Order: sequence, then structure tokens, then C-alpha cells
Amino acid sequence: MAQTLSSGIAHHDDHHDQPDTGIKRWLFATNHKDIGTMYLVFSLIMFFIGGAMAMVIRAELFQPGLQLVDPVLFNQLTTNHALIMIFGAVMPAFVGLANWMIPMQIGAPDMALPRMNNFSFWILPFAFTLLLSTFFVPGGAAAGGWTLYPPLSLQTGDSFPMLIFAIHMMGISSIMGAINVIVTIMNMRAPGMNLLKMPLFAWSWLITAYLLIAVMPVLAGAVTMLLTDHFFKTSFFNPAGGGDPVMFEHIFWFFGHPEVYIMILPAFGIISEVLPTFSRKPLFGATSMIYAIASIAFLSFIVWGHHMFADGMPLAAQLFYMMYTMLIAVPTGVKVFNWTATMWRGSLSFEPPMLFALAFLFLFTIGGFSGLMLAIVPADFQYNQTYFVVAHFHYVLVPGAIFGIMAGVYYWLPKWTGHMYNMTLAKTHFWLSAIFVNVLFFPQHFLGLAGMPRRIPDYAVQFTDWNMVSSIGGFAFGASQILFAIVIVQCIRGGRKATSAVWEGALPTGLEWTLSSPPPYHSFTIAPEIL
Amino acid sequence: MSASETQILNAAVKRRIRNGVLGLASLALAFYFGFIALLVYRSH
Repeated sequence: MAQTLSSGIAHHDDHHDQPDTGIKRWLFATNHKDIGTMYLVFSLIMFFIGGAMAMVIRAELFQPGLQLVDPVLFNQLTTNHALIMIFGAVMPAFVGLANWMIPMQIGAPDMALPRMNNFSFWILPFAFTLLLSTFFVPGGAAAGGWTLYPPLSLQTGDSFPMLIFAIHMMGISSIMGAINVIVTIMNMRAPGMNLLKMPLFAWSWLITAYLLIAVMPVLAGAVTMLLTDHFFKTSFFNPAGGGDPVMFEHIFWFFGHPEVYIMILPAFGIISEVLPTFSRKPLFGATSMIYAIASIAFLSFIVWGHHMFADGMPLAAQLFYMMYTMLIAVPTGVKVFNWTATMWRGSLSFEPPMLFALAFLFLFTIGGFSGLMLAIVPADFQYNQTYFVVAHFHYVLVPGAIFGIMAGVYYWLPKWTGHMYNMTLAKTHFWLSAIFVNVLFFPQHFLGLAGMPRRIPDYAVQFTDWNMVSSIGGFAFGASQILFAIVIVQCIRGGRKATSAVWEGALPTGLEWTLSSPPPYHSFTIAPEIL
Repeated sequence: MSASETQILNAAVKRRIRNGVLGLASLALAFYFGFIALLVYRSH
């Protein structure tokens, strides 16, 4: 294997070990590092666009009554905020991290399919330009929620086919990215790196990639049928023609629930890399962590009905979905306890990646617990469609997925750029984010329990105080993300030189730490041997 | 395409990669058309 790989990989032109210059470098990029960078920059831009929409939403909700936007635009903003954050910010960020890190962690020279990798990325700017342009067509953007439930979504104006086409393009991009990750990991690991020696981030992505291939086509199929309901007089989901809108909900959530895990499993992988480094101990129960990720992924396929309790379903189905949803707490608990045990009696230090990982551990667990509350059928009847649900999934996705991404970026940024970043500024970014994310989302639990419905621009006056607190938290959280961009730009421009190992406690689980900082444009052209 | 693109020259690795891509792409297409076929069948 060692000989096979070392002699079996070559460059198209061995004299060109440097990247192309100018726009060609990015348009025709096939290097995994360049494509990873493009994904991450794209994701950051989408994070700020989706965040700007959130700021308008929170400004409107600062006090009761209609101040800034009309109700239709409000619903367009909530719908597109979700679509942009999920498909434009979180997923591309993880694909960017996968592109940068998986080949370097497993000792591969590049992704297995570099040209498809280029295509996967370049679809995205077109998809999101199309999606954002829907705000400017007659009838406005989609306003029926990111779940696209019919018949409401079928009432979208001229932008409907643009929305569906954009979703198809996002799906194609995700599926191609997932195929690339799987074939890279399965075929291009360095000799001696068997699957159980593979770093947890690569493992989490391998499982995530299978989830993506299984569920993105299901979403694509569902939205294709929405399109035919809208334009070709079919009635798959349209009740006006005898269709079944609840069937759409089943299909959507068969995609939608695994999608939640697509957005959190790679974050689990990142946390499993960061905590051992800054605890200066190996990951506790590494093999059980892999089994836990696989168990969560499997269970994610059979719990979609918990999103639909209030639709009405047979008691046996309610019990099935409730119990299997609660069962997910077992492998998740294994992970949380293993992370805690990794830190136990470790020599801890609190650099920015560790701070974000710790915040992830506490705050994601809060999101998990409120998820358990929502899994209880009779309780869900009360919480359903309230701000409690909004609080729950934002705790999972912001201090969960997004803090996971930030932990990963702060962990590997010195490796990518060759410079250490401004620790004081990064820690300031952390503390502002960690404080204000709670000011933003924790009061939404109270609002939901008091009965405030979600997806409304106006509300009864008794909800005013906590909405004001939440909005202040939102503005401060949003503003503090500017620091994130400043830290990254400063780090790219210069700074103290980073060593190969970067962090004192970096353990040699992944091969990225054996490379220089920054790594050569083509790394591992001769496959390393793993003993 | 980039002149500095990494290429895999080993035939066995290339074959495994190609087969992997074809298999996984087929799986994705099967899910896509399978779900549509299932719903068309159910709606009759």
C-alpha cells in the first residue's frame, strides 16, 4: 500500500508546485486547500447575510406592534434566514473544514475527485444568488417557512421555481461533496491508517456524508413534486386537488431530522479533536465515540415523527417516536460524559478553541435537554409552534453547530495561515458570544412557555420584556461576530509564526500536525507511513 | 483545469474511486426517483 500510493500519485505538472495566480486560481481550483478556503469564506459571507436578516427580525420583535417591516416581509425574512443559515452558512462551513482537514488528517495528497470538488463549490454562489434574488421578484421571496409546507408554500409568487431550483442546486452540491468525502476516506488514507486510527473529525464526516447521500435526494424529490403541484396540476400534496399535505411533512422531516445531525455530527468531531489537545490527554473512549456517532446517525432516520405530534397520529406511532427520540440521549450522553472524562485530571488550558469547545459542551447540552422535553408527546402539544421550539433549535445550532465551527476555525487557523492570531481579541469574541448567545436565546424559553407563538411579527404586550432582552442579546451577539472576521483577516495578513504542532498539547492523532504551518500547497505527495 | 492538479495514476486506486462514485451516485439517484415513484404509486 505504501509503495502503491507513493508511486501512484503524481501532479499533472510537477514543475507547477505553486498555485495559479489571480482569478484563475479560484475559478479553476482543484486543490483541496483552495476549495476549503472558498467554502469557508462563502460560509462567512452567508453567516453575515443570514445574520443581518436575524437582526431585522429581532429589531421588529423589540417591542409589540409593527415597526420596521410588514408581516409578509417578516415571514420572508424568517424563511430565508433559516435557508441561508442552514444551507449557506453551517453546511458549507463544515464542507470547507472537511476539504481543508480530511486530506491532511488522513495523509492524502488531495480529495479523490478534485474537479467535482470545484463544481460542488461553484454551484453554491449561483444557488444563493438565485435564492436572494427572490426578494426582488413579483410576489416576493418564499414566506411559508423553511419547511416549505404545502399548501402555504404553493402560494409563493413568481419566485417559487427559483426557490426550488436553488434548493436542487444546494442538494446537488451537498451530494457531490459527500461522495467526495466518502471515496477520499475509503481510498486515500495513508498506509497504516486503519479506520480506527483515523481522527474523530474525519470519522464524524464519514458518517455525515452517508447521511447526506441518504436524505438530500429525498428533499430533492419532495420539492420536485411541489414544483409539479404548482405548475403541472398534479396534487401530490395540494389538498385542493385531493393531495395529502401531511405526506409532505413526513417526507420533509425524513430529510429534516437527519439534516439536524448533518449539522451537528461534524461539530462533535471538532470538539473531539479540540478537548484532548487542550486537556493534554488522549480522547477518553475514542472507539465508543465512533459507535455513539454511528448510533445517533442511525436513530436520526427513525424519529422524524416527533416533529409532527400535533398533526395527530396513532398512539402507537406517538409512543414509537417519543421513545426512540429519547433513546438518542443515550449515545449523546456517552459523548458528553466521554468529553468530560477527557478533561478529568487533564492539564487544562483555555485558548479560544478550548473556550468554544467548553461553551459547546454546556450550551449544546441545554439544547439537548429542551429537545428531550419536546420529545414528550403531551408536553409537545403545549410547546409546539411556540418560542420554546425556537429557543431549543437555536441552542442546538448556534452554541452547538456554530460554536463547533468557531472552535474548529480557531483550532486550525494557525495551521492554515502559518500565523498565530490575536488571542486577546479571539477571547473577547468568545466571551461576548458566549454571554450574549444566552441573553439572546434563553429568554425565548420563557416566552414559549408563556405561550408566545413563533413566526409572528407582532405579539401580546405581556411578552414585551423578554423580547426586549432577547433583541438586545441578538444585537450584541451579531455585533460581536465582527470581531471574528477581524481576527481571521488579521491572522491571514500576519502575526507571530506558528509552529508545525501549533498547540503545545496537540496529540498526533491527525497527520496535519506533521506538516509545516502553513502546509505546502501540495501535501503528502509521498504517502506517510503510520505505525 | 489547474496545471498543478493532483492526479492518481495507480489503476487499482482509480478503479476503486470510480466504482465508489458510481455506487454512491446511483444510491442517491435511487433515493430520489424511488421516493417520487413511491409517492406517485401511493397517490393513485
